[in-house]
Amino acid sequence: MSLRPVKIDGRRLRSERTKQLIIEAYLALAQELSPRVPTAAEIAERAGYSVRSIFERFPDIRALQVAVVDYSFAQISALAPPRGGGADGDRKTRIEAHVLTRGQTCDRWLRLWRSLIVNQGDSPELRERIRLSRDRVTARMELMFAPELAMMQPEERRQVLIALEALTDVESRARMREFFGLSVDEACLVWTQGIDRLLPKNSGEAP
Amino acid sequence: MSTIHDPAPRPTAPIIKIDGRRLRSERTKQLIVEAYLALVRENPATPAPTAADIAARAGYSVRSVFERFPHLHTLRVAAADYGLAHAAALAPARDIDGDRSTRIRSHVETRAGTCERGVALWRALLFTVDENDALKVRMKVARERTIERMELMYRPELSVLPATERRNLLIAFEAMTDIESWARLRDMYGLSFAEGCALWIAAVNRMLPHAPEGAPAS
Repeated sequence: MSLRPVKIDGRRLRSERTKQLIIEAYLALAQELSPRVPTAAEIAERAGYSVRSIFERFPDIRALQVAVVDYSFAQISALAPPRGGGADGDRKTRIEAHVLTRGQTCDRWLRLWRSLIVNQGDSPELRERIRLSRDRVTARMELMFAPELAMMQPEERRQVLIALEALTDVESRARMREFFGLSVDEACLVWTQGIDRLLPKNSGEAP
Repeated sequence: MSTIHDPAPRPTAPIIKIDGRRLRSERTKQLIVEAYLALVRENPATPAPTAADIAARAGYSVRSVFERFPHLHTLRVAAADYGLAHAAALAPARDIDGDRSTRIRSHVETRAGTCERGVALWRALLFTVDENDALKVRMKVARERTIERMELMYRPELSVLPATERRNLLIAFEAMTDIESWARLRDMYGLSFAEGCALWIAAVNRMLPHAPEGAPAS
């Protein structure tokens, strides 16, 4: 069977590339200006296109924000795979691995996250993504701490997961660094000890 | 039986002259601050109401607003002071000599009440905090008070920990019982006030070490 040659639509490809550059320009500006949202003129200037080019690809700034958030979440997932042997590592290794990964994610995305939180307004799309992001954090902890969570009743498990989510929130990390003046290692230790206290201990496992 | 004698005639107290104009001006200021607070509570999607909105709500002219608050920043700082005083007045430390579970419940319920009442103002202040050093100071004070309260309420349990671990636990508690953490319990997870308190009580109870038996509560 012979394969048909795939015809690449060069115009479409260029348009996608332009979209991508606009998203990256927005991201760079959001990091610099957070929590202020960059204007269309600022984004266009940074990306090297006209304002019209932006609105040809995104109907409004809100649609661009949604695309930026989706792109960022994909990057976050790619850069923060589960470590520490997933649910198979020992308790200490899993807690430390999770804290390290989560801390790096928080440091990387703090400014964009703040911009997103402050500017979500009444946008159902942005609110949905914020919720999705928190759900992913919770899902990761369900994976990493599966052995400990399995020791709990469903309601207790739910409560502990919500408390863990609050403890390891992006702003919690930011406060440790900016307000309490902790180093990266000290901040990780706060979370490690906090998680260790919140999770039940298996009688056979070392503390 | 001893008798208390009036030792000497009391000096006449000086007559305090009340400046009615100043009093009215202070009252106007207060009403403007209250109008700002009402607007941020009612319209959380608009955390920075305009001077025109505030003036209309207070029943004064925009000029009256700016005569008393030269910048909206000054008004926000006054609102933050009002919010801090209000929070302190409505949330005195209770049951500090109670047993462990009484103290945890008392602290959590007080903190939850403060969060419930204060979240709208807190968000409005956060929205503009980067432009205003005076606001940063107020928000720092609010966090420090939260930590001091926990140090007071959980003194017997905290005293068994080495200094660094004690500090770390207080920072963890502060994160867990943050005002936005409370807002998520209510808005995102859909918990009632009582369910939110139950979650915090369970979490604090898990994280707090046990004080040696017979240790004084405070």
